[in-house]
Amino acid sequence: MIYAGKNTGILVQGATGSQGKFHINLMNAYAKQVGGTGVVAGMTPGKAGQEVFGVPVYDSVADALDEHEIGASVIFVPAGGCGDAIMEAADSRIPTIVTITEHVPVHDIMRAVAYAGSRGSRVIGPNCPGMLVPDECKLGIIPANLCRKGDVGVISRSGTLTYQVISELTSAGFGQSGIIGIGGDAVIGQTFSEVMDEFHADGRTKTVVLIGEVGGSLEIEGARRALDIGMPIVSYIAGVSAPKEKRMGHAGAIVEGGEGDAASKIERLRALDIPVASRPSEIPELIRSL
Amino acid sequence: MKFREYEAKQIFREAGIPVPNSVLITSADEANAAQKKVAEKVVLKAQVDVGGRGKAGGILPANAENISEVARDLFGKTIKGLPVEKILVEEALEISHEYYLSITIDRAKKMPLILFSSEGGVEIETLAKERPEALRRVYVDPSFVTLPDFIVRNVIGTNPKEIGKIVRDLFAVFRSKDAVLAEINPLVMTQKGILAADGKIILDDNALIRQGISENRDLTPREAEAEKHGFSYVELDGNIGVIGNGAGLTMATLDIISHYHGKAANFLDVGGGAASDRVMYAVRLVASMPGVKVIVVNLLGGITRCDEVAKGIIEAGVPQPVIVRIAGTNEEEGRKLLQECGYVMSDTMDAAIRQAVEAVQ
Repeated sequence: MIYAGKNTGILVQGATGSQGKFHINLMNAYAKQVGGTGVVAGMTPGKAGQEVFGVPVYDSVADALDEHEIGASVIFVPAGGCGDAIMEAADSRIPTIVTITEHVPVHDIMRAVAYAGSRGSRVIGPNCPGMLVPDECKLGIIPANLCRKGDVGVISRSGTLTYQVISELTSAGFGQSGIIGIGGDAVIGQTFSEVMDEFHADGRTKTVVLIGEVGGSLEIEGARRALDIGMPIVSYIAGVSAPKEKRMGHAGAIVEGGEGDAASKIERLRALDIPVASRPSEIPELIRSL
Repeated sequence: MKFREYEAKQIFREAGIPVPNSVLITSADEANAAQKKVAEKVVLKAQVDVGGRGKAGGILPANAENISEVARDLFGKTIKGLPVEKILVEEALEISHEYYLSITIDRAKKMPLILFSSEGGVEIETLAKERPEALRRVYVDPSFVTLPDFIVRNVIGTNPKEIGKIVRDLFAVFRSKDAVLAEINPLVMTQKGILAADGKIILDDNALIRQGISENRDLTPREAEAEKHGFSYVELDGNIGVIGNGAGLTMATLDIISHYHGKAANFLDVGGGAASDRVMYAVRLVASMPGVKVIVVNLLGGITRCDEVAKGIIEAGVPQPVIVRIAGTNEEEGRKLLQECGYVMSDTMDAAIRQAVEAVQ
């Protein structure tokens, strides 16, 4: 299992907002298609008793857990309440907490991720498209029609760029064992190296595509982890043309104090003998040549 | 968003961190009065947001006799390209020792990190590289609202106890202001005791609203306008306008432009679920930048509807050629609409970008 599986009951926090509703519908359409459990409960404070596409809504995470088996939560709560939502899920010891919300204050995330760790919960995101395991489960907003079952794992800080890479992989005949969007913020829950361990422990992944971008150095840490556990990887790093000290869309995508530029990341990856694509379209060829 | 030195010092003062006497002036006429209020000997510090301000001539000593002249001189300057609009008139200090203190966020460890050195007054990056043992690094559990004593002890070691209070107060600033950086460099020992001689605070852009800040003034006017529409936008200096959805895909678009030896004019991420009026606005915004000869639109929909995108592009009706790659929901309808209006369509992002680069060569 990679964070969640076919039989994982999913809770959606922020279920009655437009994003929550829209994606509950899509997540359950996918669950139906693959014969999985999907979203079993929604949660929005003050909205108990409502239903969203047949999914019952509760006032609190604890109330939802009284009625349902829940193994993962997907959060669409607005940015200001997002840290709180993560902590509420962690307080109830939900093992996997996928946070889609963008623009969450970094101090909130640091605290929520630390608290989740102390409760044995793992946070994916924030500011991410979530995760999808083909033919098993979808937690978040990754377009399912692009994905095919296979043995290539995808870990990415980005959303649409991930979709681009998935469609390149699928059309080149490489199916995916799991697609995990870890998020574009400076501080995130699960990092490349932790997801690498998850793919490794699951055992169904032969190669991992690591999709990074400017800012920080999590990609290098993740690549080192892959080498340690013997997981073959290829990489693509977006932002070689990004100017310094400018935030490129994602809160975490900024070159600061001479650290985190794409060119030096690519150089460090290549120094570890990791193939790095210069365009997303080169990724399938690099996998073939491994 | 970055606070200027005078704003950081005001925040420090309110938090109980001692700072030198100072007055902010916006014209040379105010210089004399400011000097009288502050001290016999002063320094004039240009409030521009650049590193190496002192070496670039942005910090000048002055006294009662020459202050008006020095102020006029400094107001007339540009420091590393930035005009001097505000000057901090500050008392000149007799410094016996310099320290470095900052609190930042360690992305990999996901924790606040306090950096302290008793060898301040130097470039911190240089110190970290050349004498890492002179830089104390202490991590703080994110659940701590105030600093426990042991952390303060670990930060200051055998250095003067009064620095401990400053460490606590700076941490309170870091927390209460949603800072991603709170820095005192240098922290100085003087005949008057310990003082924050220079300060820098950078706020988390995601926390501006709860900090009561409605506009991020680090943005250019066009960037600020774009932000109001929910776009992420950065101006660059090439001639190929870029519109994408998602930060990563848009960055990759810029990179492929470089790969084909083209130069992007901008970065514009329209965000998810772009409706036709937002796409129209984005196309017009990019077309309005001087020097843009061609625009490449690279949108990969999950929830983005391609027919909406197509309508937006057509309604924008800009003079430059627009080369379009769209994939996702209602893709066929979108492509049909655009083809009927004579737009250039590409099946892949590589091909669309190559065509855009060729169009300007």
